[in-house]
Amino acid sequence: MKGVAISFREVTKSFDQKLVLDRVSLDVSPGEVLVLLGRSGCGKTTLLRLVNRLVDADAGEVYVGGREVADWDPVELRRGIGYAIQGVGLLPHLSVGENVSLVPRLLGWNPERRRDRAADMLRLVGLDPREHGDRRPDQLSGGQRQRVGVARALAADPQALLMDEPFGAVDPIGRRSLQEEFRALSRELGKTVLFVTHDVTEAFRLADRIAVVADGGIRQVGTPHEISDAPADALVRGLIEGAA
Amino acid sequence: MSFLEFLAGRWSEILGLTLEHVVLVVISTVAGVLIAVPLGLAITRIPALGRPVLGFAGVIQTVPSLALFGLLIPLPLIGGIGSRTAIIALVLYALLPILRNTVTGVRQVDPAILDAANGMGMTDWQRLTLVEVPLALPSIFSGIRIATVVGVGLVTIAAAVGAGGLGSLIFRGLAMLDSRLLFAGAIPSAILALLADGGLAMLEARLVASRGASTS
Repeated sequence: MKGVAISFREVTKSFDQKLVLDRVSLDVSPGEVLVLLGRSGCGKTTLLRLVNRLVDADAGEVYVGGREVADWDPVELRRGIGYAIQGVGLLPHLSVGENVSLVPRLLGWNPERRRDRAADMLRLVGLDPREHGDRRPDQLSGGQRQRVGVARALAADPQALLMDEPFGAVDPIGRRSLQEEFRALSRELGKTVLFVTHDVTEAFRLADRIAVVADGGIRQVGTPHEISDAPADALVRGLIEGAA
Repeated sequence: MSFLEFLAGRWSEILGLTLEHVVLVVISTVAGVLIAVPLGLAITRIPALGRPVLGFAGVIQTVPSLALFGLLIPLPLIGGIGSRTAIIALVLYALLPILRNTVTGVRQVDPAILDAANGMGMTDWQRLTLVEVPLALPSIFSGIRIATVVGVGLVTIAAAVGAGGLGSLIFRGLAMLDSRLLFAGAIPSAILALLADGGLAMLEARLVASRGASTS
């Protein structure tokens, strides 16, 4: 399935009376990779979690494929959206292949189709299903686990991918090759990707567009070029220069 | 007459009482598991249940076993002399370790794994059965192990309310000031406890190994 549009309209969210998002609006085009870039605690993860209703907004609306997420059953919505996080969250008691085909299993696919799908997905992220498919997650390297996390997020052919620092726990070299492969893969698949990171280099490497998030609001949205050529304010400039 | 000759003379009686002992432990532990595991899982879903249920199980644990057996005897329906009263008391004692380990086991599951499970679109029931229970299993199992070993010791005391088992040899030995009788009950009971502990520990280790239940 090709990517769908994701839109935020005047979204506001507080936790324990602390305002985390303040009337945020943002449009993600179908098939684009949009990176939410910001320091920890800026609200970028909350913004991401609004999309699959792991968090519900206090005010404002979020649309996925033109339909407001509040109208969806959360479980059904989440099964149609790939989700990958830092630390990966692989189930340690299931094999790599079983982890990858977990959403298809929730969707009721038969075992044979699930196995085929898991093998395809593992190949897609550069793992050998015969060598890695039957192992336990703790028998893989950190980088391999992140790959499995991406394969799992893609397994049910979702309309969009949500990724929260998915390469956060990998060494810099492994990280770079993961980023490059993921960039190529996301272009090839044409999925809409919403990607959260605090790493400016990662943002510039992956993004079609970057949204800089700070203090519960979006400071600037633009292509990596636009943002590095003309930072909207001192904060954005500081963020990019800090990484340079 | 040596102790060994004494044992040889009562071999079949000791064996029969040992069997009775094992049956009492198994029945009460199984019943304890059937009650405490679902109750523990319910506590993880309805936190308000936690304090009263764990509190109740904790209070029972503080009642000396002989006193609990005594307290149950006058109660209608569940009381009286015999193995039924004993089993009820034994089940009550088995509750706390199993309950506590079930609750802790589920609560110790890595939050990143739960977040991923929710984000993939698991229903609460699927998260419980596919993620939380499998990952809590080693902890639940070690609770069952504690309950079983404690149960072996408690059953000896249950002989005081006429439950049978190896405790009846011990009480007879005490009453007749016959240390051979006392040992004929105490030694097999101690061996049973060690066997139960060792056997269940081995099972537990295999369970952990086969499930790769370490958080990664």
